[in-house]
Amino acid sequence: MRRWLLIVSGLLLVILAVIFWQESHRIKPIALVPTLTGQVEYCLTCHSDLAQISNSHPIQTFGCVICHGGERLALTADLAHSTMRGGANPSDYSVVQVSCGGANCHSGTAASYNDHIQRATTSIQETYAGAIASILYTFGAEPDLTARYATSAVQDPGSTTGITSLAAFAPPPTSNPAILAFATNCLNCHISGQPLPGTRTFHFTGCAACHTPTQIEPGTGENLPPADQIHKLTTAISYTQCDTCHNRGNYDLRSMTFQPRQDQPLDRLHDYYQPIAQFTTCEYELDCIDCHTRVEAMGNGNLYGKETDIQYIQCKTCHGTTTDLPQTKTLTDPNDIAFRQAQLNPVVSLKLGDTILVTSKGEPLWNTLLSSDGTYEMIDKVAGVRYTIPLVKGSGCLQDPSRQDSASCHLCHSVTR
Amino acid sequence: MRPTFFHHLHPPTIPARQARFRYTLAAGGLAVFLMLILLVTGILEMFYYIPTPDQAGNSIQTLVFLVPFGALVRNLHYWAAQFLVIVVLIHLLRVIFTGGYARPRRFNYLLGMLLLVIVVFLDFTGYILRWDEGIRWALVAGTNLVKSIPLIGNGLYTLLVGGSQPGGATLIRFYSWHIFGLMLPAGILVAWHLFRVRRDGGIAVPPAALRKDHARISRYELVRREVLAMLLALAGLLLLSVFVPAPLAAPLTATSPLGETARAPWFFLWVQQMLKLGNPFLWGVLVPVAALVLLGLIPYIFPHPSGAELGSWFPKGNRFAQLIAGLLFLAILILTALALLPAS
Amino acid sequence: MPFRYPVNHSRISRRDFLKLARDAILTVCGLLGLGGVLRFLSAQTEPAPQTDFDLGLATNYAVGSQTVFLQIPAILLNTSDGFLAISLICTHLGCTVESKPEGLVCPCHGSRFDLNGKVTHGPASQPLNRLHVEITSDGKIHVHTA
Repeated sequence: MRRWLLIVSGLLLVILAVIFWQESHRIKPIALVPTLTGQVEYCLTCHSDLAQISNSHPIQTFGCVICHGGERLALTADLAHSTMRGGANPSDYSVVQVSCGGANCHSGTAASYNDHIQRATTSIQETYAGAIASILYTFGAEPDLTARYATSAVQDPGSTTGITSLAAFAPPPTSNPAILAFATNCLNCHISGQPLPGTRTFHFTGCAACHTPTQIEPGTGENLPPADQIHKLTTAISYTQCDTCHNRGNYDLRSMTFQPRQDQPLDRLHDYYQPIAQFTTCEYELDCIDCHTRVEAMGNGNLYGKETDIQYIQCKTCHGTTTDLPQTKTLTDPNDIAFRQAQLNPVVSLKLGDTILVTSKGEPLWNTLLSSDGTYEMIDKVAGVRYTIPLVKGSGCLQDPSRQDSASCHLCHSVTR
Repeated sequence: MRPTFFHHLHPPTIPARQARFRYTLAAGGLAVFLMLILLVTGILEMFYYIPTPDQAGNSIQTLVFLVPFGALVRNLHYWAAQFLVIVVLIHLLRVIFTGGYARPRRFNYLLGMLLLVIVVFLDFTGYILRWDEGIRWALVAGTNLVKSIPLIGNGLYTLLVGGSQPGGATLIRFYSWHIFGLMLPAGILVAWHLFRVRRDGGIAVPPAALRKDHARISRYELVRREVLAMLLALAGLLLLSVFVPAPLAAPLTATSPLGETARAPWFFLWVQQMLKLGNPFLWGVLVPVAALVLLGLIPYIFPHPSGAELGSWFPKGNRFAQLIAGLLFLAILILTALALLPAS
Repeated sequence: MPFRYPVNHSRISRRDFLKLARDAILTVCGLLGLGGVLRFLSAQTEPAPQTDFDLGLATNYAVGSQTVFLQIPAILLNTSDGFLAISLICTHLGCTVESKPEGLVCPCHGSRFDLNGKVTHGPASQPLNRLHVEITSDGKIHVHTA
């Protein structure tokens, strides 16, 4: 008995020594107290090598949990990640309101220019209302091309377009097989849809679909796996991001499948648009967002039934016509949205008194400038290259002033590959 | 040497045969030791635990991840608690299967039954204090079971929950039950239970005239054995606590996540299995209480062993009581096993 | 039982030596346990209090002005020699000193200080702390309590 007491005492001492050793080798937690929450978080203990997501979301102000959710005090992966919103992507539309929303963040009012979530979730890039309406009309399920369905139910009581709500597109099993095939095969390309499998098509869903640049393997152009994508938000969105959905191929209405493009482009000229497209020099040298405006890309909060109802930029917006110079606006109001947009971009800067181009709806083209010597300039929002805009007025252009659609300009100006 | 206070708590000598581990399984002593561990670790936890719905989960995470030895203290508390339930059941079974409840020990047996009930509810209230996603349905179902009692059910529910549905008031009440409302009676009952052991003549043995083995051990030897058992139990608990953490899920929020399997705490799985049969009052309250009452009545209604048979396992005199108890525990084990099978 | 054996070191019996060893080991275990409990109880789970206070543009405080900031707590004086920030934590027992027409007065035990922080009336014996004032490049005035 006495001997056993000694042995067990020794065992107890050994166990206590192991406990103390383990405690001294515990991973040292790294604390962060973001100024917006005032609550300590320990995410950096494991994730300190992650790059700050953007200059507009500094980690000392935001921390991690305010966007991602998660258990801020936990130091085991399972518990810490258990309440994260949207997995690795808190901008997925199922959780975007909690992660990115709020009156001071991205679901405020149109007047304060921070109604991004309302606009993006009702935009035609998300609702897909036009494509759905076309298919339903073509195959006899609807009497006309009026948009009635979207990828998910959405309401807009104050709509100025006449469309105040769209129901969720869920064709019953008795529908025309073509419609059912469409529902199965063709709903990859909207903001909350799962991207098409294959190279060059990977993107995250939600806001990240455009704002988180997809990493592609240089040389091959293959998607890098999700684990190799980067933690980044940007407004300098390159054409390659748009091309994760756009210019990927064509629908075959007879087989109701998507036919991806088969070419293997080696340079920007051949990569930008698919082989059948016609385009001018500026349309492949610039990035999509250099011309396509804020309202075109993200919507204006109204529900639209056709892409052409919201997309309105034309060549003449920058180049003018044979009779008119392009419309401009001098920035006299320091609260003009053009200043905020320029500030968010790494290569463009504007100051009070600058004159810039505007669209026919009054949207400022904040990456343009009318300089004092009368030259019109545009800066590529992504690459920062400066271009002088050639004007139609006073040139040898043979346009018919009443035909300002891009196809008419392409007749003479399209690039030969 | 002069006996210390601890030596004096024990009789000067006890029969050697009944002092063996293979007789008592050290179950009663282990139960006392585990309660001591729970008291100490519980007090330490009280320095960090905050019993409000928005702070409970976070304060536990702070304790586990940020306080030195915090995870160890919590794991010790958890494992000591689960083993206490098992050990007191082993102790109960030992007492039944050795017939140690016969006169004059019948009242002490009842004290022990009461302690069993308190221990189980201490485990349940402690489980609820975690206030994480894992306890959600146990809280809802458990409190609603109280409501199912006719006449007094709604009143009892309000007393227990402190409102019309589980919330912050419930948490603070469960906290109060756990650290005081149940602990204080438990402490008093343990002292009384141990006192009665000595007053009733110590461990049950045949009277001297009928005894075959007269060997005895001194209180010093007894204390030595108890200290050894405690050190071994401590070593085992520490090892377990180092390698197997107590469960912890994300804190309870207003909306429940979908697709979770709703499981009762392990010691109530047998009740959960019975509740699949129908009426909650019948299967959740009446049947468990009936089982408890049946066990409690064993010393009073069933034949008990004669004096000569005491101090051994499986005496002939109370075979019927042994059978009843054995069948009851077998049923509980089977129900528990069935509850663990994946839902079809 | 523990710690009772003859202390004749030259001829200690095996039983007593083993008892000594056992007691020594258990004592070490006990001390380790105690040390562990002390470390456990010493953890600080609340974030450290703020030490840097941004008081806005320096031009907001006219020369000769005295502004009390209860959240620090401190009094900011714009004197002819520049900005001076004096802590309002009474050096006696820590109550917040009040700024009255007659000077800085502590409501708890009656200590009084002048506008340099010097003690004019006890029971405090130490002058009020001077806090470091910093004016940043964008003209903001910061007071540091550490």
